[in-house]
Amino acid sequence: MAKRNKLEIMKDVLELVSQNHNSIKPTPLLRKSNISSSRFKQYYQEILKKALIREILDRKNNKTISLTEKGFRFLEKYQTIVHFIDEFEL
Amino acid sequence: MVVTPEKVLKPVGAGLRVVQGQIGVLGFGTEMFYAFILIACSLMIYFGTRELYKLSGHRGIKYFRLSFLFFALAYFFRSFIKFLISSFQIKHILKLLPFSFGKITLFIFMYFSTLAILYLLYSIKWKEWDRTKYVKYFLHIISLLFAFLAIVYQNTTLYIGINIVLFLLVLQTLYQKPKKKKKNNLFFIYVLLSLFWALNILDILIPTAFQYFQLLIYLASSFIFLLILYKVTKNIGST
Repeated sequence: MAKRNKLEIMKDVLELVSQNHNSIKPTPLLRKSNISSSRFKQYYQEILKKALIREILDRKNNKTISLTEKGFRFLEKYQTIVHFIDEFEL
Repeated sequence: MVVTPEKVLKPVGAGLRVVQGQIGVLGFGTEMFYAFILIACSLMIYFGTRELYKLSGHRGIKYFRLSFLFFALAYFFRSFIKFLISSFQIKHILKLLPFSFGKITLFIFMYFSTLAILYLLYSIKWKEWDRTKYVKYFLHIISLLFAFLAIVYQNTTLYIGINIVLFLLVLQTLYQKPKKKKKNNLFFIYVLLSLFWALNILDILIPTAFQYFQLLIYLASSFIFLLILYKVTKNIGST
């Protein structure tokens, strides 16, 4: 299997959240994303910073992750982004 | 068209003549229409790709967008000054400070147009170039240097030399880039864009050089920008 690039990993992580009824805890997300924890941390921080996901704390202070509107838009536009990058060799 | 002895084989260089350019050769309307097409295409590319960049944060898209913003700015400065001169009769004000005004305009135009071409290269080579920390500063320094040389040494050979260097740099960079697809005409589009952009710059700096081919240069440049805009809009869809 070819090595995934940054955009692909971001898309996969966001898709995992979306497929999990838009609510998933960090640990299962890390497990399912199939990347090392250090790389996961790096990508997680990046998508959080870009406001593609948000963290929600419940009453017991447990953290869950859900997609923002921008996150859903990213998934919608992912193929367009990839095609654009490919077409202009960016 | 009357070619005065003053015009023949005389490098325009900096000063008022540069900003006045050759309004008389093709007509003010044609000049403005040409500028409008180039600025509109560049801005449509810049704003049309905004969402793709905001969502992905992809550096290639960022530099690609910036390149077209610089193209728009370069042409805006050139045309806006021409427009002011022709429409509002600001010649009288310019006569008071002709040297500095013309030089500043030329400097800004040269700076942005060089930067636009360099950023276009940066957009396709960013993975390699970003390994070095100060690439961005380096590109700005090259552009400033070319702009500075253009206003300090008002020399035809130097103008041609600078543009040949820039064009060769584009060719070499594009040639080195490994092709992802077999049938991608991007290489030719970028080469043509750089070639006609260089001709555009020379047309401004040395009006006598291409006065009989000016319309051809304008048409070809407009066609290339429209082609890139078409490729962009086709790819971004309804964004």
